[in-house]
Amino acid sequence: MIKIKQLQFRYKGAEQAALQNIELAVPANTILGLLGPNGAGKTTLLSILSGLLSCPANTVFVDGCDISSRNTRLKPRLSLVPQDYAFYQQLSVRENLSFFAGAQGLSKSVINERIRDVSEITGLEDRLEAKAISLSGGLKRRLNLAIGLLNKPQLLLLDEPTVGIDPHSRHFILEAIKRINAQGTTIVYTSHYMEEVEALCDEIVIVDKGQVMLQGSLQSLLQAGSRQSFCVDLCELPTAESMERLHQVLTFHRDLLRLNIEVDSTSDIIDALQTLQECQLNIGRIHYGANNLEELFLDLTQRSLRD
Amino acid sequence: MLRLRYFVHKELLLLGRDLHGLLLLFVMPAVFILIMTFALQNQYANDGKVKVDYLLLNQDDGALSQQLVQNIGLIENLRRVPNTADEDHLRAMTAADESQFLVLINEGFAQKLADGELVLQLDIAPGTRPVLVSLIKAQLKNLLGQLYLQQQLSDSSASQKPLPELEMPEMIASHYLYDVNVNASADQSRPSSVQQNVPGWLLFSMFFIAIPLSNTLISERHQGTLDRLHTMGFPYYTILFGKLIPYFFINLLQVVVMLLIGMYLVPMLGGERLMLGNSLPGLAMVAVSASLAAVSYSIFVAQIAKTTEQATILAGVCNIIMAAVGGIMVPRFIMPPAMQTLSEFSPMAWGLDGFLDIFLRNAQLVDVLAECGALLIFSFVLLLLSISLFSRRGLRNN
Repeated sequence: MIKIKQLQFRYKGAEQAALQNIELAVPANTILGLLGPNGAGKTTLLSILSGLLSCPANTVFVDGCDISSRNTRLKPRLSLVPQDYAFYQQLSVRENLSFFAGAQGLSKSVINERIRDVSEITGLEDRLEAKAISLSGGLKRRLNLAIGLLNKPQLLLLDEPTVGIDPHSRHFILEAIKRINAQGTTIVYTSHYMEEVEALCDEIVIVDKGQVMLQGSLQSLLQAGSRQSFCVDLCELPTAESMERLHQVLTFHRDLLRLNIEVDSTSDIIDALQTLQECQLNIGRIHYGANNLEELFLDLTQRSLRD
Repeated sequence: MLRLRYFVHKELLLLGRDLHGLLLLFVMPAVFILIMTFALQNQYANDGKVKVDYLLLNQDDGALSQQLVQNIGLIENLRRVPNTADEDHLRAMTAADESQFLVLINEGFAQKLADGELVLQLDIAPGTRPVLVSLIKAQLKNLLGQLYLQQQLSDSSASQKPLPELEMPEMIASHYLYDVNVNASADQSRPSSVQQNVPGWLLFSMFFIAIPLSNTLISERHQGTLDRLHTMGFPYYTILFGKLIPYFFINLLQVVVMLLIGMYLVPMLGGERLMLGNSLPGLAMVAVSASLAAVSYSIFVAQIAKTTEQATILAGVCNIIMAAVGGIMVPRFIMPPAMQTLSEFSPMAWGLDGFLDIFLRNAQLVDVLAECGALLIFSFVLLLLSISLFSRRGLRNN
């Protein structure tokens, strides 16, 4: 569905390129999780895909169309749901949906049908007459999504669609996105909520400093790019004496009460637990298994704090 | 074109729910027109309703000075404030603007008049306009001239009998070069206050459309709504025209409402009726040109301002400057030549000239083409600049 070849992009006047040598392939009907710290280039990439920013010829193809040619054939099949509430606060939900549908050239009967469909998908049927400004944050996010679905897009670009909302609304939106994908829509999804991306996406791309750091299916990335970890949460801080003893036996790093202990086999785990018992350290919780996406992300992006 | 219908509908809904915007576009100019029409009604009237208050102290007890007092009292537009206080007290009252003049008739009036010495002292209140001072001085000079002539003729007369008072017959016929509209009443043979005020304040309010228009455009930019529209395949110019068209018609609606106020509401409240002149095509041409200029200017303001606050201040200040320079607040004919030249550069002046040509000077369509052309060129240039800025900057809020 999306093919990107050697894409470079630099904003006017910027010293550094916002995107460098991006190579990407997104199969149709997948949900691609686009991850990266703030300023990594995610929004720039979405802006190029959606046509808001122009790109060099023969670098970005959507469904076989070079998007640099501003192919109007592409527009009706693509939809961007921006992070901002990109609708009119003083209009009702129905008026907003009606305007954006009408502006896309849909006929009156089709408009009514689409409003019915998207309000059902996003759970806004009962709020159609409410003014957008009176909606809660979660309902506003759902309206933002609903507008993006009016043209039945084949490619849906979602820029942090669940930011700042309660767990119920987030769950609802994630379920809606799964439904949309199940109907054949390819989705590019950016979010800072790793557990969301793990739960939703088939493919993951991690970008940082304008470059693709990692790309692949979620399972393959978690298996190949991660290591087994054994974490122990202590009930109290270890004494200096205990720490000295632990360092003699185990390889680990401590983060307050948490000990991240390196283990290669099950017997290493038993040895580690015995050592902790010898040091008279009480264990509150034990975690063992592959790294999750968040740990992988933090490892790749150097764990440094970003703006 | 069908898509633009949705833009127009959306803008109308948004404006209909923007109480402040509606007040700014319709109520403010209506109030302005009513206030200025009635406040300045007497400036354009000649029906004797205007009275200039004056104090008078006659320090002479001769018959000639008494005659002068009597003659001053006969001047139609002057009203003597009765007061018998002394000179200092009367002067203090005048200095406090309680009357506009103090006329002091010097002692020995008749002798001094014959000798050509100072016979009168005119003390002027600080709030009195210079043009009024000149008029009153001219009237007093006229009266003194009559008395002087009367005195001289009387002295030289062989019979030594006093001559009858000299009265200057009316030898000047005056009328305004103002063609009465077919619907005008017979006595409406001069431009009224409403005729002078409606065009000016109407234009002023038309350009105030810059505030609601630029605010909605900037809000759309900041909220990402314009981005969204652009991803739907709308080029920059289409988005701008989607704004221009509804606001253009709202502007024309303003014109119609303000003209109706001048034609029907002002007379109901006791003022004179606005006459639309004799060329509806000419009037429509001026209204369309001024409206296009106002809307293009508004879109340009939205492009150069980054925030709604900036746009509000910029539009407000620029409007007041254009109105001040363009003859809306101060009539251009009383400006010094340099200011009059400067006012040629205000689009409000072009629009005002166009409207006044139609309302006052019996102009036809062809007579207002120059003003309309200037307005259309102004709007065309600003639109091109706006489209260029819009596409160069992109839709994002940076």
